Amino acid sequence: MTTATTTVPYRVTPTGVLRSEWHKLRTLRSTWITLVATSALTLAMGAGISAAYDGSGEGELDTVVLVLLGTQFAQVNLGVLGILSTAGEYSTGQIRATMTAVPRRLPVLWSKAAVLAAITFPLTLWTNLLTFPLAQSFLTGTDHAASLGDPGILRALIGNAAGLALLAVLALAIGALVRSVPIATGAFIGLVMIVPEVLAMLPYDFVDDAVRLFPGRALETLTTAQQLPGSTSPGTALLAMLLWTVATLAAAALVLKRRDV
Amino acid sequence: MITAQDLTKRYGGKTVVHDLSFTVRPGTVTGFLGPNGAGKSTTMRMILGLDTPTRGHATVGGRAYAAHPAPLHEVGALLEARSVHPGRTAHHHLRALALTHGIPRSRVDHVLDVTGLTDVAHRRVKGFSLGMGQRLGMAAALLGDPATVVLDEPVNGLDPEGVLWIRNLLKSLAAEGRTVLVSSHLMSEMALTADHLVIIGRGRLLADTTVAHFVRQSGAGTVKVVTPEAETLMRLLSAPGVDIAGPTPGTLEVHGTDAEHIGRTAAAHGIPVFELTPDNASLEEAFMDLTRDAVEFTAAPEGAVA
Repeated sequence: MTTATTTVPYRVTPTGVLRSEWHKLRTLRSTWITLVATSALTLAMGAGISAAYDGSGEGELDTVVLVLLGTQFAQVNLGVLGILSTAGEYSTGQIRATMTAVPRRLPVLWSKAAVLAAITFPLTLWTNLLTFPLAQSFLTGTDHAASLGDPGILRALIGNAAGLALLAVLALAIGALVRSVPIATGAFIGLVMIVPEVLAMLPYDFVDDAVRLFPGRALETLTTAQQLPGSTSPGTALLAMLLWTVATLAAAALVLKRRDV
Repeated sequence: MITAQDLTKRYGGKTVVHDLSFTVRPGTVTGFLGPNGAGKSTTMRMILGLDTPTRGHATVGGRAYAAHPAPLHEVGALLEARSVHPGRTAHHHLRALALTHGIPRSRVDHVLDVTGLTDVAHRRVKGFSLGMGQRLGMAAALLGDPATVVLDEPVNGLDPEGVLWIRNLLKSLAAEGRTVLVSSHLMSEMALTADHLVIIGRGRLLADTTVAHFVRQSGAGTVKVVTPEAETLMRLLSAPGVDIAGPTPGTLEVHGTDAEHIGRTAAAHGIPVFELTPDNASLEEAFMDLTRDAVEFTAAPEGAVA
């Protein structure tokens, strides 16, 4: 053992915390299982649905939305991954070690969000860029035949990836906010998939407008290549998702700073 | 050096730690004693900045823990509850902590070696026994080569070999000039390792004293000696403050000095000793009397109302 009096150049740095969080994410088996399963499901569903498509009946559904129907699973999978990286630390007790190493706390939250976004965005983007041509190989000659160069297609594929990355970070923030994996998962699925459906049943126009800006609906808008008249623009949808994520992350930061670990 | 100043922690209406002030000095092992629920863990969590005190403050090396640029180099902590993701290996757990501070990989290997975990370093923590978990906690505590070590019940779940290892480790850390604060609910364990004692009950300070002083004051610390030359040894040991009784021929009950001194005196004069037993049971009793009084003291007003 070296003596305590030696001066050692150890120091907590933002880069150090970032590397630590990346190390934590990549050294868990569940991370890789989730990521591989998410990509595989998107690819398989895109191929399966396209192969089964008989060329009629689904005409009103947007081509990219149809091809990326696996997004439904991806948003839950990636959301849970985000929740595990924050709320999961409370259930295992890891949070005590984490916050003892970085007692200023907030760099941990920023790093977790950055690492998750940096891994989910490229992963879903590449998955989408593979799924689309794969699905299209089954769709030639149908009303959903399209190529990457067609207007809106590439934008929708990228928009979907950006939306999924933002949703994952939103879930991560919910996890940090409530500190329980089951409660955070319930809240996330409720917010993204259930609440908009329930609200949409109310007979008020302003509710309809508001519901379109909910994260799950905004993701759908982002995934759409051919915008319908009167619908939200992709730019507005992206902004809405960004605001949801930033606001939840800010709330999580406030709670993290104030509450005992 | 750890300084607690009027530390108070309230959860809802319950005051867990009450106006606690004490100082833990470098170069010695300080035992932090109290029955279960006395507020030891909460105090340690406040020292580490995990819990914010309701009132008062704690500093380490003159500053709040969170204000240090390299907290793990300032304080190494082992907390009572496990603080590890079970799905990660011991190596990766330590590596993730090390990365925050830029602590090199060689240091991770070193603490794994010191704690005897090298062989299981690449196994997932899920399969670790309680003792291995404690060793991993110790490895994490030593990772930053800290000036201060804070350990919450480190001997919990360790086998006798592990207990001995902890005792020697604590003593060597203190001998290197580090500050060592170690909590326990067993007085007998602390009598063997600690030099100084901070005793709390129901979140209040009951005693801030040296082990030797506590032993002397409590009237505990009787050492039983069995020797064929009882009278000679009695004469050699007699000194001011030393009280010797001889209940049966060939047996002495010595008060006011310790087993080490008696053993050395006997050896120096070639007196055979068949038995040399410090009475730790009475030490434990003295500790329990002290903490029981505190419990009654705080409970009294409630009883008066009823």
